Amino acid sequence: MKKINLALISASAMLLFVGCGGEGSAGDKITYSKSAKEVYETSCKKCHGDNGEGNVKKKAPALNDRQAGELELDLYDVKNGGLNQSSATEYDVMEHNMQKLIAKGYDYDPKAMAQFLEKSFYKKSTPVTEAPEAPAEVAPETPAETNASN
Amino acid sequence: MLKEGMELIDAHFKGEGMSRRDAIKVFGLGGATALMATGTTTEVRASGAKGKILIVGGGLAGMATAAKLTNTLDNPDITLLEPADLSTSYQPGQTLVAAGIWDKEALVYKRDDFLPSGVTLIKEKAVEFDPKNNTVKTSGGQTIKYDYMIIAAGLKLDFSKIEGLGISETISSTGDHSAVDKVIGKNGLASIYFQDGSADTWTEMQKFIADAKSGKKVKGLFTHPNTPIKCGGAPKKIMYLTDARLREAGARENAELIFYPNGSKMFGVPEYHNAIQKQFEERDMKWNYRHNLIAVDPDGKTATFNRHWKEKGAWDEDLEEYGIEIKSKEVTVPYDFMHITPPMVAAEEIGKSEIGSGKGWVPVDKETLQHIKFPNVFALGDIAGIPMGKTGGSARKQYAVLVDNLISLMEGKDLTARYDGYTVCPLITSIGTVMLAEFNWTKKPTPSFPLDPSQERWIWWLLKVYALKPMTQYGMLSGRA
Repeated sequence: MKKINLALISASAMLLFVGCGGEGSAGDKITYSKSAKEVYETSCKKCHGDNGEGNVKKKAPALNDRQAGELELDLYDVKNGGLNQSSATEYDVMEHNMQKLIAKGYDYDPKAMAQFLEKSFYKKSTPVTEAPEAPAEVAPETPAETNASN
Repeated sequence: MLKEGMELIDAHFKGEGMSRRDAIKVFGLGGATALMATGTTTEVRASGAKGKILIVGGGLAGMATAAKLTNTLDNPDITLLEPADLSTSYQPGQTLVAAGIWDKEALVYKRDDFLPSGVTLIKEKAVEFDPKNNTVKTSGGQTIKYDYMIIAAGLKLDFSKIEGLGISETISSTGDHSAVDKVIGKNGLASIYFQDGSADTWTEMQKFIADAKSGKKVKGLFTHPNTPIKCGGAPKKIMYLTDARLREAGARENAELIFYPNGSKMFGVPEYHNAIQKQFEERDMKWNYRHNLIAVDPDGKTATFNRHWKEKGAWDEDLEEYGIEIKSKEVTVPYDFMHITPPMVAAEEIGKSEIGSGKGWVPVDKETLQHIKFPNVFALGDIAGIPMGKTGGSARKQYAVLVDNLISLMEGKDLTARYDGYTVCPLITSIGTVMLAEFNWTKKPTPSFPLDPSQERWIWWLLKVYALKPMTQYGMLSGRA
């Protein structure tokens, strides 16, 4: 019975912890040596274009057709090699390239980059009307690279 | 102090075991009571804010959100759209049903039992979205006008992407499964991702084990697709449980068990990836990374995978490195038992609507859960377009953030609540052990307890099998925790 009491105390404590878990354990803040703008202008734009319009020949998809939330999801996918435990990324080639670019100092915060891309390029690809009344028709996602999956 | 106590309990019960009755007493009733009594998990915030709120979807996420809004608002005006009677069912238990540990009945929660009083239920689904005019059209032809909308419609299991199964429709985890149950749950094919399928998995697994026990050499395959999936650990859990049941039957040496994931990792968090790979090796569970299931011959019992790999490509001047090329070929493998984790998608009527996105998932700010185009629309749960997540554990963190932010918006204040990507995977590694893999967008383990999170423990088995269900039922579905 004594054991059970001990277990009960621990179990209760545990549940309380679970109840507010996650907080305070968010890991280290990463600092980036370049701003999103600097990274884009010194690296990304070589393939994705001056205005994020993409480059079919270089198999670089456009980045001007999506808003920050959607872009951030894709950037997260690329940087992490997938969104899920064993599903893999949709962007195999860019995942490889991204690792090389990070090693060369072109790392960035996905949120900051997504916001930069939206702010700099998104409106330019759409007729300027009273936002958000006419969001751009979202093009079907076709990663230019062979992603080896059907 | 807590650490020592928990280590002690873990060690003690690992040695002696705990009766089911005691375990229920401690983790079920005790845990739930503790939760209810303290109420520390939820900040009480009364609000006089007004507005007509529409919630699309009455699964765990939608129902918990409805409950918390009801608890918080003085005059809630909430309409909930949900056609399925069993939508609120307890999905995390499907793994346990599939391994013969629980009965299917333990999973069945009726939607109507969890509907908070005052919430208007419409037993129809949303089929058309017009977010510019704040209206939704339902399957029954009604047009509903809202001031605020929350999308919690979950996701669809899309077996139709796998050739040879003869399946052309998507299904949900609960509800009508007639589109798939002629082929999934029969003749060695199984999937725990839907309620009926989880019970059928146990039947098929028992046949597989009986074959192994009779001396036949058998092969079990376990797949993981190339889409985001709900409960990313489940494809592995069912494999661990098959391993455990085979050992129990003394027939493990006659079975070859192989994991076929599309990706090349066990887990996105390196600490957990390493721990899992080691656990696989210890159990002689094999894996073939970078294999995506594309076709099945259910009569001939063969599975065809797209095997894909990287090769060094041409010099890339922009990158100043060699690029890579992706190569692939089809590989066909015979099986006696195969657990399919189907590709998962957003419902078409949502994914392709104005509130959807290129990939279908509802695009929201990943921290505030507010829609990126329509500020009066929010999304949470499986349909939200955010990294990782798609677990009950993420929904549990999300609904509190969402309600807080929605009420701030209704009150004309800034949205200050932030979701940090927390999710949890109680990875069942055998009957009696679980590794409690908690993590968030930092991709580092974020344990809630002062214990090494990469260890398999009996105490987490108790948490998974006895505590999480009452926590969901009494805590989350009532909007309290």
